[in-house]
This record gives sequence, structure tokens and C-alpha cells, in this order.
Amino acid sequence: MASIGQIVEQTPGRDALTRARQRAVLVPDCMVEAKRIANTVIAGWHGRRKRGIGENFWQFRPYADGESLSRIDWRRSARDDHTYVRDREWEAAHTIWLWADMSPSMMYKSTLAQASKESRALVLMLALAEILARSGERIGCPGVMDPISARNAAERLATALMHTPLSGGLPDTTMIRGASDIVLIGDFLDSADEVMARLSPLARRGLRGHVVEIADPAEEAFPYSGRTEFTDPETGEKLVAGRAETIREDYRRAYFARRENLGGSLRYLGWNFVSHRTDHLASEALVAVHMYLSGMPGRATHGGQL
Amino acid sequence: MNALPFAFANPAVLLALLSLPVIWWLLRLTPPRPQTEAFPPLKILASVLKREETPAQSPWWLTLLRMLLAAAVILALADPVVNQRTTTLATGPMVLLIDNSWASAADWQRRLDTAHALVDDAEAQDVPVSTVFTADRNHDATPANAATAREKLAAAGPQPLVPDRRRALQAIRESLGGTTPGTIAFISDGVKSDDTDTVLADLATLKPQDLRLIEGDSTKTIALTAAANGADQMTVSASRLAGTNAASYTLIAQDGQGRPIASGALAFAAGETAAAGTIAAPFEMRNDFARISIEGQASAGSVHLLDDGFKRRRVALLTGEAGDDFQPLLSPLYYINRALQPYADLIEPKVPDLAQSIPEILAGNPSVVIMADIGRLPAETYEPMQRWIANGGTLIRFAGPRLAAAPADDPLVPVILRQGERAFGGALSWAEPQPLADFPAFGPFAGMARPDGILVKRQVLAEPTPDLAERTWASLADGTPLVTVRNVNGGRIVLFHVSAEATWSDLPISGHFVEMLRRIVQLSRSGGASAETGAATTAEALPPFRLLTAEGVLSTETGDAKPLDPHRDLSKVASTFDNPPGLYGSEDGFTALNLLPAGTTLQRLDPATAGMAVTLDSLIGEEAWSAKPALFTLAFLLLVADSLIVLFMGGAFARRLRPAAGAAMILVSAFAAATLLPMSEARADDSKPGDDIIMERLNNTHLAYVITGEPDVDRMSELGLNGLTDYLTYRTTLEPSPPVGVDISKDELSLFPIIYWPISASAPMPSNSTISRIDAYMRAGGTVLFDTRDQFSALDTSGAPTANGERLQAILGNLDIPPLEPVPTDHVLTKSFYLLSNFPGRYSGSPLWIEARQDARNGSSAGTQSGDGVSPIMITGNDFAGAWAIDANGAAVLPTVPPDETQRDYAFRTGVNIMMYMLTGNYKADQVHIPALLERLGQ
Repeated sequence: MASIGQIVEQTPGRDALTRARQRAVLVPDCMVEAKRIANTVIAGWHGRRKRGIGENFWQFRPYADGESLSRIDWRRSARDDHTYVRDREWEAAHTIWLWADMSPSMMYKSTLAQASKESRALVLMLALAEILARSGERIGCPGVMDPISARNAAERLATALMHTPLSGGLPDTTMIRGASDIVLIGDFLDSADEVMARLSPLARRGLRGHVVEIADPAEEAFPYSGRTEFTDPETGEKLVAGRAETIREDYRRAYFARRENLGGSLRYLGWNFVSHRTDHLASEALVAVHMYLSGMPGRATHGGQL
Repeated sequence: MNALPFAFANPAVLLALLSLPVIWWLLRLTPPRPQTEAFPPLKILASVLKREETPAQSPWWLTLLRMLLAAAVILALADPVVNQRTTTLATGPMVLLIDNSWASAADWQRRLDTAHALVDDAEAQDVPVSTVFTADRNHDATPANAATAREKLAAAGPQPLVPDRRRALQAIRESLGGTTPGTIAFISDGVKSDDTDTVLADLATLKPQDLRLIEGDSTKTIALTAAANGADQMTVSASRLAGTNAASYTLIAQDGQGRPIASGALAFAAGETAAAGTIAAPFEMRNDFARISIEGQASAGSVHLLDDGFKRRRVALLTGEAGDDFQPLLSPLYYINRALQPYADLIEPKVPDLAQSIPEILAGNPSVVIMADIGRLPAETYEPMQRWIANGGTLIRFAGPRLAAAPADDPLVPVILRQGERAFGGALSWAEPQPLADFPAFGPFAGMARPDGILVKRQVLAEPTPDLAERTWASLADGTPLVTVRNVNGGRIVLFHVSAEATWSDLPISGHFVEMLRRIVQLSRSGGASAETGAATTAEALPPFRLLTAEGVLSTETGDAKPLDPHRDLSKVASTFDNPPGLYGSEDGFTALNLLPAGTTLQRLDPATAGMAVTLDSLIGEEAWSAKPALFTLAFLLLVADSLIVLFMGGAFARRLRPAAGAAMILVSAFAAATLLPMSEARADDSKPGDDIIMERLNNTHLAYVITGEPDVDRMSELGLNGLTDYLTYRTTLEPSPPVGVDISKDELSLFPIIYWPISASAPMPSNSTISRIDAYMRAGGTVLFDTRDQFSALDTSGAPTANGERLQAILGNLDIPPLEPVPTDHVLTKSFYLLSNFPGRYSGSPLWIEARQDARNGSSAGTQSGDGVSPIMITGNDFAGAWAIDANGAAVLPTVPPDETQRDYAFRTGVNIMMYMLTGNYKADQVHIPALLERLGQ
């Protein structure tokens, strides 16, 4: 009997870029919803239609106790009995960090899937880069590319990836300062505690995160039966199941429990969690992340079912 | 005998072979090869997977292999023993020559069994037997029937003696009277009785048809040949017969009652047959040694008996002149000291005043008192001195200018001395310096060679008396006495008529001086005051008191032993029939006679010296070769092979080793073979447990805090240093690894640049050794930051120190700390990273105390920084750790006092400045001078 799953080669960057472009066309521009005031923002080129740091007048509002007196607009306040504060429109570009896990466990594609997990992750990452670059956000990839703000950011990211292939494991993220967004794409198969141990320092530093879990349908459905020897592509560890079909229910329970656990922990941090299966269309995940990024989480449902 | 060449020790175990079919059935089952699947979420799967296996058939040859394995184990447990012995004898009378010497005692029963077996064979073939024992006094070698031979065998026993084979051979030759013997069986102990032992060649001259040499296990033949009492340990010489392998034994020293009181090690190197063991024990304990034996060896040779003469003497040294440390070669005691140091324990008085020192040293019960050039003793000391001599003390006096000038009626001089000294040579004398004459035949110096090249230039002269000659132990060539003696009751006074330094004669710088002193000291009684018996030189022949048996046990059975002539040097005398080894004398005083003379080496009886073919045989019941180890080895090899096969079948090597499977197989088998061989060499490995931790701490900078033992304080220290570590990582290029709590009493401190020490009055006070570790750490360049954390509790009106402050004072009281001062405004700490004017923690207001700068101490202007090194100590009361402490979410744990987040930030900045100051030292201080330096360069 032929194997259900197989280990695949790494997807070439050019190929992934082409597919990412196709996906990105389907999705409208994404203007990242800025919830927080960042210290590291750089004045951008489009207004945010919100009050914040900027040049243009946005609104007058009544003075509230505790605010610095220097912010009172005395000219406006002199007109009536109230004291007013002048708000300005926030003009800023946001920095989005994109990162995809390229560890050996991602190089996996079962017969049930359309693409390998790695290929899907790469496509998602480049497509996001394309969409975000269209709306002028700054795109970066930790360890690979410093944040840039350019229309062709997706191409440049793909080029950078060709020169510096992503490896497994979260790279050094100490250069990420302040309240940026980070999109993490991977399979997150380690136990939820280990993943959280890696991610929570990021959250503590004020990063806003969006985690996209890529899963192969074979990993979810466990379509194995008979005497089967399972091999971990990362550690090479081997495990022999006498009759694989007998443990299917137990395995699925443990698998989904891990996902629930991880999703819950991330939401507790204030991060978003999207689950995606490689037998679905890449644009589904793209749309979900897009919604989160643009601050419309109400329309997204959790648990990977869009 | 058994029809098979081997027998089973446990034949019942062979029934287990019946279980082999069951094992066969079980072994036919082994699981099939599984379908392989790559599966990334293996960890999740592993958490739910239970072990279950589907059995299937395994190949027949693997089963056969396992069956062989099981069979080998069962056979090994049944313990087959291969034991063959030739039973046919040549025609003609059989001669049975048996060594019943000391070396045969250990396996005497087996020797008897062997002899009995030979007698049985002789009886079966109807051959007369001539039985001779080599260590017997009388030999009756007449050929007789088997019954007589058995009676002889039953009566014989091992003797604590060296065999006298020549007489035994003589007896055999006489009894045979020219008859050619059939078989000569020599049950030998394997040891040559002396250098000229030609027993095998002599046996060959009897022209036997068959000469058999039957030997036991010669590796167990070990003899102690000598013991020497050194300065701080006892050295025991030993000799063994077979020297192929290295072997070590334990030496046991027992006292007179047979209690073991000390032990030592005796190690033979591989290939060496002689070794020296040592027993280290205090001098007093060594004097109690009565016998030394090898643990686990029961023969007369492995026991060395000691007597009084063996004990080290206590020798007191007195001199008339104060010692001159700058010219030791002119001090008389120097030569005596050097001569006697190896043989005796020397005591010297603590006070120069003789009136005090003589009673003091006499209280120490010395055997010998040596006085070098003392003219007159204080009057009150004559009486105790004489009493001590009468009780057996030996007084040795040396002449000198003071003695020469002393009045003639000194009772502590052996002869009447003429006043003044006699000088040979010189401008106004005709006489030449005199050499020494031969030593007289009596006295302790008898037997010493006449010393050549010793010239006496000056001496004191004795008044001639009728008995002067017999009281002279040594004299000059012209007959004037050089060493005279007088026996006083039990004791003795000896006078050297020359001085103890080299001005009067060459004697003190010759080897004879050492030997003479040693012999005199040896003559003295071992205990200072003891019973009234005559001196050893006049003793009668010593009756046997306790004799050693062949098994090395002392018994009161003296048998036909004869009294021992004590005038021979017993260390060179071998024991004989008349004087077997043992103790001779009485309970009050005895002399030990050992089996072998000192310096004997055991030599093997070489069959090649026989000059004819010698059949070598071994004793019954010993070298029966057991097949058990070989069978177990086979089983183990099969097990290894089986494991390898299972691994190959399971595909363990398939992925990695397929390209070079053949080579890998060879490698694996070579490795298996290598592990099976006995590991002859062990690699040196000097790594110690904990090295990895030290390496880790060396590689990374760590902040460290002292574990006070109070959980809340320690937790706060850890959180605080964690916070500072984060802050440093975020703000500076310094990225320390997580902080470390150190146990200052044990851990290696030198790995940390700074140690934070929160003082807590309720924590246990560190011990003095711990304080000295801290002191050493500070001396070696480390810094301790003491934090009393009591800035606000110190604000009470009294101004008295707080509990923490008192504890700090107590700790600092034991430390060598420099003068302190609060951080001056221009100190480098105020600008090493941030510009700071004060150093707050949770509290603010307490100054930060550091080592006062050199120039400030010297009172010069404070304009320049010394910039020299870093303060080894810092003291604050501001509770730094409390301000730095953050929890896992980055939130501060404790509020500052007053609650002001700016103060916390300043506290962090203080921490950064302190760390920068620690790690950069005078570099930061020098940075201050850069503008001035640049300005100068510009000029």
C-alpha cells in the first residue's frame, strides 16, 4: 500500500510568488486597523481617519480632567464656556512582520491535500505581503528582510527568501520594537505550552499577533489503518502502532484539544488564531487574516471553519 | 572415574533442556514489518498510542540461534568441569617426594589428596612406594606398601621451615641402593630452597622412567622477607614466586595480643617478584607492632615477627651551647641529628636551661640521652639522671672543650678522664693525627670494617685502669680509647672521646659515625625505664618461647626446638629444624626469628634444570577447568548477534547504512568484539561533575545574588535581578543570561562580576569559612553589593543601627574591607551609562557606599579620578532588588516608596550604571579624560 503522506521538496520562491499573486488579486486592499499607538511608527502617506499624531485637524472635543493643559485649544475654548482640545488625524504607516515556519514538519503533503503545508504557508505569506504592500504598509520578515514600504514588497520578500531561506523555529525577534503586527504561519504542532512559551514574550513586548495554523487533512482525519510505523520528520523518532484505526478517535480528540488549547491561549493574549487546512483554498485563510488585520473580527468565526 | 572427560557440578539443571521445545515455540513469534508513514504530529500521537504488537513468524535460523543461546545458558548453569589425570605408573618402585615446607601449608590438604591418589595408583599396579617429606628432621625412604605410605601421609603435616631437599635425596638414594625407580613423583612447593638447589637434576641422576613434577598454584606463594621501621612508616619487603600479573595485598599489623591495629598496602607490579609495602602509623603505634602478616595468606612465610630490637628508640639530645642557626655545621647536635634521624625519634628540650630540660626530657622516657660537650650538669639533675641510667637508660656523651675542662669526678663518665685534651699534630707537637684501629671483637661495633681515612686530631684521654681495655669499644691506632663504656646496673654510659662536630676528628662526617650511633641506640632498651635485667650483650642462649606454625600462627608448642644463640645477627639467619621461626626468650623480653633471612628472594624451581623430560602435573581438585565462563561468553556473544540481527530486521540501520551496509556490519562486529575484550586501559578523564555549569557560567555573564535561605528574600532577589537583566538587555549592549542564585559557602564565586547580597537579620549568619571565601572573592577582583533594605526602618529617632545593619556590621567585622565613602559627585558611577546624582532603589535617600578613592584618602585634591580598579564593595539601604523586581508579565512587583514610577526608572538606571561600572572598570573612568587628552594631542 502506498503511503498516504509524503515528504516534499521546498517550493521555489518564484512559483510561490506567482500563485500568491493570483490569490492576492481576489482580496481587496487591506488597511491595517491600528488599535494602538506605536512608538515606532513612521509617518505614512495616508490618513487613518482617526485621531492621533499627525498634521491635519481632525476634531475638537471637550477637555477631560487629567489631560495636559497644554493641549487645550484656547482659541476654540474662548468661544464658549467649554474647554476644548484639538485632535489631529493620525497619519502613520504600520509595520507588519510576516513569518512562516519552514521546519521539516512543514514539508509534508498527504494524498488528501492540494499542496504541501510549506507551499501553502509560503503562498499565504507572499499574498499577504502583496495585499499589505498595496495599501502602503511596511512589510518585514524577521531574520530575512528589514521592514520596507514599497509597492513591490512581495517580490522583494520572495527575492530575500531565495537568498535567505527560512528555517524552522521562530527567529530572533528582538529587533521588533513597539506595537507592530506580526503574522505567524506554521503548523504549531508542539504542545500548546511550548508554543505559548515562545510567543508570550512577543506579546509582552506589545506585539499584536495573528497566528495561522496550517494543517494537512491527513493530520486531522488520521486515515491510517493496520500496522503502521510513524516517523517524525523533525526528530526522526519512530513509533509503531499495531492497529492504527483503533486509536483514531483518541488521536483526533488530542489533536483538536491541542488546537483549542492553543487558540484559547492566543486569544487570551489578545492575539488572533486562524486554522487552515491544505485541502481548502488558500484564499479562505487569506480572507480571514485580512479581516483580522483590518479590524473586522466579528465576521470571522473561530476554529478554522470560515 | 567418570566415563566422560568432564562432569557436571549441577546435573539437575540439565533437566531444563526439556523446556527447549517450549522456548522454540515461543521464539517462532516475532512481529512483521510495519507500513512506514511520515507523520509530523508524532508527539500528539505518542501521547495517545498504547503499545500492542501483532505476532508473526520469525525465520528458522533466528530461532535456532536463540535456541543455541538458551542451551548454552542451561549448560553453563549445569557447570561442566573438565578434570583429567594420568593414572598409569611406570614399573618399578615409585618415589613420592613431598615438600611439606611453609609454602605447602595453604593447600596441604590437596597435596595430601594428590599423594593419596598416587598411592592408590601404586596400589592398583602393585608397586612399592617410597615416601619422603623434605622438611622433616629424619627421613625413612624405604620402599613400602601402600598402607605404610598412607600411614606416613596421615602423620605428616606442613612445617614452618624451608625444605632440606638435599638430605631427603640422600635418604632416597640410600634406600634405593641402586635400584632404578619407576616413577618419581615430586609434589613440590615450587620454591628453590636456596641458590644451589639442584633437586630436579639430582632426581634425574636416579634415572627414573618417569619424573613427575606436581605443583600447586604458585601465585599464592608470597613471603615477607624484611621489615624496616622508617621515620614515619614501616616498610615491609615481600617476595613472591610467580610474577606475571600485578597483584595487591593488604598488610595487617597486629599487637602482642593479636589485635590488628594498623594496615597497609603491598602491591606487586606486573612481572615483578619483589615489592615493598608500607604501613603508615604513628610512632607509638608502630612500637606496638608484634607481627605483620598478609591478609588472606596463611603460611609461615607470610608472617613477619617483630621484637623489641625492632622498635624505634626515643633519643633525647642535649648540648651545652646554644644552637647557632647561622652556622649549623659547627653545631655538635647537627651531625647527631642527621645520623639518627632515620633510625630514631629525636626529642630536643624546649628550654635551654639544663635544670629544667633534663627532668623534662627524662619524663618523656627516652631510651637514649645524648649529651654533646656538656661539662657539668646542674647539681640537682645528677640524681634523676643516675636513677634513669640505673633503670636501663643509655647515656651517650661526646667530648668537647667543656668536658675536657670539667672536674674528673663526674659520675656520668664511663672512665676517669684526664683533665685537658690531647692534641695530635700542630706546630708544637710531634704526633700525627691518628687513624682508628680495628674494632674489637666484642661490643656493638664488632664486625664493622675498619674505617679508613678517619683521622682524630684531638681527644680527651682516659686514666688507665685495669679494665679499661674491656670497656673500650673503639680505639685509635696507638691504642688510646676512642669509645668507652660503663654498664651501670641496667643502663650504660658511653663516651666518645671526640667532639660531635668535625673540629676534633673526621668521625662525625663519616658513614661509620652513623653506623656506630645506630648500633649503640639499637642496644639500648626500647622503653626508658624497665625491669632489672642484664644487658643484651651478656644474655644467655634464649629458650623458645612462642613458635610459628606452618599456617603462620604462634603457638606455645615448642616441640624439639632448641635455645637460640642470640649473638648472631638474626636478620641474616634462616630458621632450621633446631630453631624454627618464632619468638625466643621469655615473656619479659624476646627475640624474633623469622622464617626467611632478610632480603631473600623466592626463586622458582625450573623443570628445565632436570636434564630429562619432566611431566608437569597439577594438584587434584584445583586446576579442574570449568567450562562455565566459556559457555556464558558464548551465550553472550549469541545474544549480541541476536540483537544485531533483530536491529537489522527492524530496519534500524537500513536508512543510514544501506550504502555501506557491508562496511557497517564489519564496524559493528568489530565494535562488539572490542567491547567484549577485557578493557585493559582506561582513558584519563579529568572532568568533574559540575564542570558544565562552570563552563556555562564562564561563557555568559550572569548577575548573581546570595541565597540567604529565606524564600521571600531570595525570590525578590531573583525577580529583581531578572528585571535588571531585562532592562540591561533592552537598553544596553550587555545581554546577561538569567540571574543565578549562589550558595556562597559552596559555589564557585569567581565566575560572577558582582554578587548582590540582601542582608537579612533573620537569615543564618554565614560561617567563618564562608566569610573568608567572600573575602577571597573580593580580593580577587569581585564586587559584593550589600543591600540592607532598611532605609526607612532606619529612620527612627534613635539613630541606632537596624537589625539588618547590625548583621551587616557583624559580617563586615570579619572581612578585610577598605575605607568607604558615599559615592562622590564626580565618581565614575554617576556617569558610567546614565548621568545620575543619586542612587535610589525602592527607597531613596540612603547613600551608596563604595571604597574611598586613593587620592581622596591621601587628602589631595579631588579633581582627578583615580580610575584604578573597581570598588570591591558597595553598600546601600535602598533595596535595589525590590525596585527592579518584575513578574513574568513585566509588571513591577513592589511599589516604590514613595510611589513614583520615575524613581523606579532611576533605580533601573542605577543598576545599569553599577553593571557598566563593574564590567568596564577604569575604561569608563578614562573616558572622562578624553576631551583633555584630545586637547593635549592637538597641541
